[in-house]
Amino acid sequence: MVQILVALVQIGVVMGLVMGHVAYLTYVERKVLADMQDRLGPMEVGFHGLLQPIADGLKLFFKEDIVPAGANKMIFTAAPILVLIPAMIGFAVVPFGRDSLTIFGVTFHPFIVDLHIGVLYILAFASLGAYGILLAGWSSNSKYSLLGGLRAAAQVISYELPLGLALVGPILLSESLSMMEMSKQQGGGFWAWYIWQQPVAFVIYLICAIAETNRLPFDLPEAESELVAGFFTEYSGMRFSFFFMAEYANMILVSCVAASAFLGGWQPPLPFLDFIPPLLWFLVKVYAILFFFIWLRATLPRLRFDQLMAFGWKIMLPLALANVLVTATIVYFFQ
Amino acid sequence: MPNLVKLLKTVFFIEIIKGLGLTARHLFVRPITRQYPHEKPKLPSGYRGAIAHLRYDDGTEKCVGCALCEAACPSHCITVVSGEDPHLPQRRIAVEYFLDVTKCVFCGFCVQACPVDALASSPEYELATTNKRKLFMDKETMLQLGDRYFPVRAPRNPPYLQNRWAFFHQMKEAGFPGMQEK
Repeated sequence: MVQILVALVQIGVVMGLVMGHVAYLTYVERKVLADMQDRLGPMEVGFHGLLQPIADGLKLFFKEDIVPAGANKMIFTAAPILVLIPAMIGFAVVPFGRDSLTIFGVTFHPFIVDLHIGVLYILAFASLGAYGILLAGWSSNSKYSLLGGLRAAAQVISYELPLGLALVGPILLSESLSMMEMSKQQGGGFWAWYIWQQPVAFVIYLICAIAETNRLPFDLPEAESELVAGFFTEYSGMRFSFFFMAEYANMILVSCVAASAFLGGWQPPLPFLDFIPPLLWFLVKVYAILFFFIWLRATLPRLRFDQLMAFGWKIMLPLALANVLVTATIVYFFQ
Repeated sequence: MPNLVKLLKTVFFIEIIKGLGLTARHLFVRPITRQYPHEKPKLPSGYRGAIAHLRYDDGTEKCVGCALCEAACPSHCITVVSGEDPHLPQRRIAVEYFLDVTKCVFCGFCVQACPVDALASSPEYELATTNKRKLFMDKETMLQLGDRYFPVRAPRNPPYLQNRWAFFHQMKEAGFPGMQEK
């Protein structure tokens, strides 16, 4: 009974944290993009627009919910949920810190559950998100949505392979599929992080993560100049905001995985910096990767679809395979 | 060899890193946008906004109803009905004077055409309204505009005109160099 309560409290805390971060990530993205384009960004609601995410949320909540004529109503309704759930559920295995907290004999772990197949679990749910996108595109009864959905499905499937293969490097090095174990193995200083032993895998992972979350320069499924808004063209109000939340939650999730697998998770960069809580180190690393995503968005134009596909299958996949081969050989002979 | 350099550049994302550097530099550039309704732009001295009517110092209007502005207007937005002042016989005024701001192109030709300097370009540019009829100005509204923006009825000599005259005099003193040459 207590176990279930503890788990529920943890889920609540993690969900709350993630939703808060999703809300303010939209604000930070708008602000950083504006700064990089010599603009001001949101300035009206609150001090320097700090209450903008709340205003946006309220606006979306009270907007009319339109189901287009000819849409398959059931699938149209289910699709946003099918996108949001896989994005949120991955946070269950992310290790946010090192120490377990014991209050009144009840132990709170820095993760909801330490699955021994954590990485596989995240990859599996990341692929499930593609179903929601495809169904949303198909059920909307609109050509833009359908094209966007098809593009998204093709893109997500072709970039999932190198993404998974890039994560095989850290898995081989740590000899574990558990995210917690992986972070533990990288202790002792920043030179023990897997980014130095797996630089190719790290770059492949970052590129595929951007493609996987449908962000610029790989945002073809929602290319505004071609497809209006891609697979969520016909969505409005709360359902639209579900897609929006899922995109940003996915961004945070891939950043969490990158921080745990390549940047040492909650480990401090130098051993004597141990007195700073591990949670803060983890957050700093996640924020750095998120900032990089936004920075990249401000810099690069969108790829053409054939370029995207050629890049994924002809460069990313062979490179990731070669990386796995070399890593496996070295690990077999030297460890 | 150039192929090798190109390959290495591609492999290490040199061009993308250059682009990232550019955007990172712009992170510290001051924003050039203005918070418009809170922060008004500084208008140049020769700014041509809505046309206003002016008065003499004793409060009587300057306009004599000659309708030269109507003739000069390229967009035909001015309508003048000329007549006699009922209180001062033999003094001619514009009995009716209409200016359709929806047609006006703010060229200022009417101001130049006026023989008695009764018209002026006011710096009023916030003309947006939800009622289009409000953009149909009669003499009263134009006189009010003039009272608001030109309270001192001294001869108007804005800096841009002073600069123009200064340049002209300078050229004259120099004997208009280059004029005699072919």
